[in-house]
Amino acid sequence: MNKTLRNPYVYLLFVLPTIGLYFLFFIYPVLQSVFYGLTDWDGLTPAKYIGLGNFEKAFKDDDFWISVKNNMYFILFSVFVQVPLIICFSLLISGVKRFQGFYKTTVFLPSILSTSIIGILWQFMYHPSIGLFNKFLGWFGVEPIYWLADPKWAMLSILITNAWQWMGFYIVLVLAAILAIPKEINEAAEIDGATGFQRAYRITTPLIMPIISVVIMLSIAGAMRVVDIVLVMTKGGPAGATEVMASYMVNKAIKYGQYGYGTALSIMIFAIALLLTALYQIAFARRQERVEY
Amino acid sequence: MRKVFQKSLPHLLLLVYVVVILFPLVFVLLSSFKTSNDQIVTAPFGLPSKPTLENYSKAWTQAKISRYFFNSAYLSVTAAVSAILLAAATAYAIARMRMARASKIIYQFILLGMLIPGNVLFIAQYILVQKLGILGTHWALYLPYTAGALPFSVLLIVAFMKAIPSEMEEAAIVDGLGVIGSFFRIILPLTLPALVTVFIINLLGNWNEYLLANFFISKDTLRTLPTGMVGFRDAFQTSYPLVFTGIVISVLPILIIYAFLQKTIIEGLTAGSVKG
Repeated sequence: MNKTLRNPYVYLLFVLPTIGLYFLFFIYPVLQSVFYGLTDWDGLTPAKYIGLGNFEKAFKDDDFWISVKNNMYFILFSVFVQVPLIICFSLLISGVKRFQGFYKTTVFLPSILSTSIIGILWQFMYHPSIGLFNKFLGWFGVEPIYWLADPKWAMLSILITNAWQWMGFYIVLVLAAILAIPKEINEAAEIDGATGFQRAYRITTPLIMPIISVVIMLSIAGAMRVVDIVLVMTKGGPAGATEVMASYMVNKAIKYGQYGYGTALSIMIFAIALLLTALYQIAFARRQERVEY
Repeated sequence: MRKVFQKSLPHLLLLVYVVVILFPLVFVLLSSFKTSNDQIVTAPFGLPSKPTLENYSKAWTQAKISRYFFNSAYLSVTAAVSAILLAAATAYAIARMRMARASKIIYQFILLGMLIPGNVLFIAQYILVQKLGILGTHWALYLPYTAGALPFSVLLIVAFMKAIPSEMEEAAIVDGLGVIGSFFRIILPLTLPALVTVFIINLLGNWNEYLLANFFISKDTLRTLPTGMVGFRDAFQTSYPLVFTGIVISVLPILIIYAFLQKTIIEGLTAGSVKG
């Protein structure tokens, strides 16, 4: 019996295809990235080793840092706009008895749709003449705004679309945490005369801080990855106003053939993501005590 | 009075959110039945005066949406099925076979993949598929989609298989069942709920994938829905109803799956993100 489950041939048969594919598409590209990142390869002439030249170039590349700044907008928007709304709406959903399932299903819906389709759909929401936003503002006599073509508004427009897509996902995460809090805690507070608002603010919110922390971490990770929505809605324009790190990197490599520089940028993106996550962990997450009921 | 107000206020606020979510979708659906841009421009949120299915037949046949649809469907399904088969076999070896040390190393090695954000590998993968000579073919999507789903799938299936008690398997093996038989006839059927979850998550991911599909495929007839729709939008910029019809066709299969499997999807996706 032990022998049957120790059959090395079957073991290899079961494990090797996965490892092979995984190695080919994960590990090998990682090694390749490090290699190409240190060269000036342009896809045509043989790659020449240039040490950290690409990274020096990246540090001086103003356009790259503009795209880094745009990624930061995604983080700031989620922390200061989305997270408070996420907390409010999850508290609201957890408080109702009827339609709870309906609310949960509906708010989650956008997060299973394709970002590219959402991008196309929202372009019509922002459409200067038929779009919902300008129609609405038109009632108040506001002149049409060129949401996606105006550098002033383009970034905000994308941030709103991104929030529309992902907020429900996080609401469901937080909602699960709220519903996992033992009912006795709230009941005790209610008997002691705490109002609904006091209970939400003083009891539930502190208890769900760990999951909020997870939401912020996921938002940081998501903000580092963002690219589809920008490529579909604005292609980084107008005039680089919505360029993000990943779209900048992809452009450099595919459009301009700067594979060496592009991979160096991808390593920078990875490093920035690690750095931000570590900073967040040190600054906030560690301070939190574990919640025990 | 105050009680009533207190009871209905949360519903009122939540209803606002629900409207914000559903509004764009309803707008698209209504517009897809309209005949001209004029009808959309003059009454964007009105019901179509003479609802027509003409856009659907036009988008489906003339505008090649059917092509994109089938490309998306068969690529998503085959890659998702391949990923769960590979992951299930590996998970079985790791979780149930008695090779503890090798299994631990392999498990950790595969989980490393979850730390690497997908975009970071984009250029290296582009060069890789170019070198393999499959750039511009469906293999260039099928292989990365399958490989990309492995770490997460292995993680989830291993966790599930470890929780299956060993008595049944032991009894079957004592009765003479081999290890492959035990995998296919005992463990795999018991793992079915986890396999369904993983399958759905992979399927959604593949169906919606844009970045690789956009850059690894250039031939129009090989495009999948997310990239095909972007091209479609550019080609039919002047015909809004047709673009909206395309959006409806792309979204509908997902909505149907969601209607039946919302619980599995929500649990699977949220669990995957928190663990990953």
